[in-house]
Amino acid sequence: MPHPDTIDGPNPWPADKRYPPHHTFGPPVIAEIRERAELGRYPIRGWGARRAVPDFDDLLLLTASASRYPLEGYRERCDTRTVLGARRAARPVVLDIPITIAGMSFGSLSAPAKEALGRAASLVGTSTTTGDGGMTPEERSASTTLVYQCLPSRYGFNPVDLRAADAVEIVLGQGAKPGGGGMLLGQKVGARVAGMRTLPEGVDQRSASRHPDWTGPDDLKIKIEEIREVTDWQVPVYVKIGATRVDHDVRLAVAAGADVVVVDGMQGGTGATQDAFIEHTGIPTLAAVRLAAEALADLRLTGDVGLIISGGVRTGADVAKALALGADAVSLGVAPLVALGCNAPTYRRLAARTDGAGGSGGPGDEPAAAFAGVEVDVTTEYAALGTAAGHCTHCHTGRCPVGVTTQDDELAARLDPELGAHRVANYLRALAMETAMLARACGKSDVHRLEPEDLVALTVEAAAMAGVPLAGTDWIPGR
Amino acid sequence: MCGIAGLHLKDDTYRDRLGAMVAGMLRGVAERGPDSAGVAIHSDGLEVLKAVGDPLAFAARIGLATRSGVRALAHTRMATESAVTAAHCHPFAVRPPEPARGTAAGQASAAAATPVDTRLCLVHNGSFANHASIRRRLADEGVTTETDNDSEVAARYLAARLAAGDDLAAALRRLTATFDGFFTLAVTTADSFAVVRDPIACKPAIIAETDRWVAMVSEYRALLGLPGLADAAVFEPEPEEVYLWAS
Repeated sequence: MPHPDTIDGPNPWPADKRYPPHHTFGPPVIAEIRERAELGRYPIRGWGARRAVPDFDDLLLLTASASRYPLEGYRERCDTRTVLGARRAARPVVLDIPITIAGMSFGSLSAPAKEALGRAASLVGTSTTTGDGGMTPEERSASTTLVYQCLPSRYGFNPVDLRAADAVEIVLGQGAKPGGGGMLLGQKVGARVAGMRTLPEGVDQRSASRHPDWTGPDDLKIKIEEIREVTDWQVPVYVKIGATRVDHDVRLAVAAGADVVVVDGMQGGTGATQDAFIEHTGIPTLAAVRLAAEALADLRLTGDVGLIISGGVRTGADVAKALALGADAVSLGVAPLVALGCNAPTYRRLAARTDGAGGSGGPGDEPAAAFAGVEVDVTTEYAALGTAAGHCTHCHTGRCPVGVTTQDDELAARLDPELGAHRVANYLRALAMETAMLARACGKSDVHRLEPEDLVALTVEAAAMAGVPLAGTDWIPGR
Repeated sequence: MCGIAGLHLKDDTYRDRLGAMVAGMLRGVAERGPDSAGVAIHSDGLEVLKAVGDPLAFAARIGLATRSGVRALAHTRMATESAVTAAHCHPFAVRPPEPARGTAAGQASAAAATPVDTRLCLVHNGSFANHASIRRRLADEGVTTETDNDSEVAARYLAARLAAGDDLAAALRRLTATFDGFFTLAVTTADSFAVVRDPIACKPAIIAETDRWVAMVSEYRALLGLPGLADAAVFEPEPEEVYLWAS
């Protein structure tokens, strides 16, 4: 509708510039209202918070200059070894790098994706984690160090797999949906997934939001003791929380007996959850990590109870900053999926394995030349989902064009587990190198010696959340 | 960025000349640390003196050259991250925290009841890169620092280790495994003198040793004038190796 001319004459602005965009009811909001009005339901999607929240990009490292000395990158040692859960477990988790792979279910991810993540983790000396629906044999055999999740749904949870695990992670919540349960839409509930979960095929699965065996930290203590007995006190018990009331929840996880606390910030991803959860619950990872670290410090348990943080970790700089704020390790979900090929406009049909079956049982660390093949364009498949490569969060549909988040055999076959493992291992190695590089530049011979005093913030918000000074000042808001 | 000097006498030959010897050593490292200076002199007791300003004027003011003793540390400071005040000067002289009552160590120290000054003295050239975390850990153990100086954290750490039962060599080895950064440290106690350097050992250190004394300095020229230097064994201490002399 053309804007009327002003009283002074014709409106000088082109029609599309005459109105400022409406903030409260902008075009995306209008589209969402129309969708709800049309369909009578809420949107569901994958990944984590899309909105901008204060994050690790809002922090900077104070590397060495004159008052301190950097270490040489190519000849002076900087340890990345990470030990988790040494407090009680006979076999603590010992990792070569402080970067782990987060719990993601077989069901949400394809079997080749799970296998690739396990292989990649093993190649770089770190751990990967099961997810809702249980442990697959491929994943167990591919993973040197496998963390077995104990979730409210109990899908696929059993004492045999429990005893086969290298650590157990009790999931109280997830950053994408703290207080909410899991969701696996019917199109991803194929025969194998349904069998593992003892549920019917093709029907939406809504996992519970709380575990029937405990309703609070007092009962959780009993559950943890039960798990320790079953695993003969051999392996660490992690407790994972979605970041909301972090200070209280970390203290209660410790009181219940956690050897490691995993804190997942609001940017943490999911395979499928209501958009309202993803964007409007929990707190940013940046705030969560400092709260968790300070809770452990207040309990005099820094270093004794491990702290893993997750939610939006992408780069070695993110890792270095998380460690400086007090994390012992970080956990990645979305980023390794991207390394696998998530959101790529093509997948590679391997010359050596044109059937796409993959999984030949090799070590999975071949040079890139061994993965020669043809790049197959799938941009039209993204378009069919109503999205595009680089923007896709349609994990929930099960129609992943690159075979990562699907249970469709034909789509899953597009992901070769060896090539996937090669890519993810490369990515994790690069992150570890970046982390150590930044730690060396801060004068540290061990990445775990980064400390909050090595950081400043770019914004007042980030300074307040992370508890570090605003750059150029000694001001920490609220302290 | 500092100059350090330490002198340990093996017998009484130079006891009355200790101050004069240290004054000469201090002169040799004065330009490395124009902010402030300090000395620790072990004789019958322990005297620690520090002041802001020109190190040579400080040495003259306290009559350093006239003092006697068996062991001494001297330090000239160029401050890195903490203020230039007398409290921030080296040496940091720290009494090991009291062992808890009822423990074997607690009873032993009560039984000994000697008037020996138990303070450990430390001088440092370099800077630490992870002292904030170590300071917090010490605070958790009830060990507090008086300044925000990084070197004080090392002194408190060593004293706490001694109180926990480590001998000085073990405490220094533990320090090198715990502290990041660059450091040459000289440490004295009521009966010992020790030197240790970080794994990279890029801060200068020279040790000279004769039958009668052992000296450690930041610069060769600070050794000139020591009696019998021509016959001394002169060497640069190896990284991460603890050099310790006890009386």
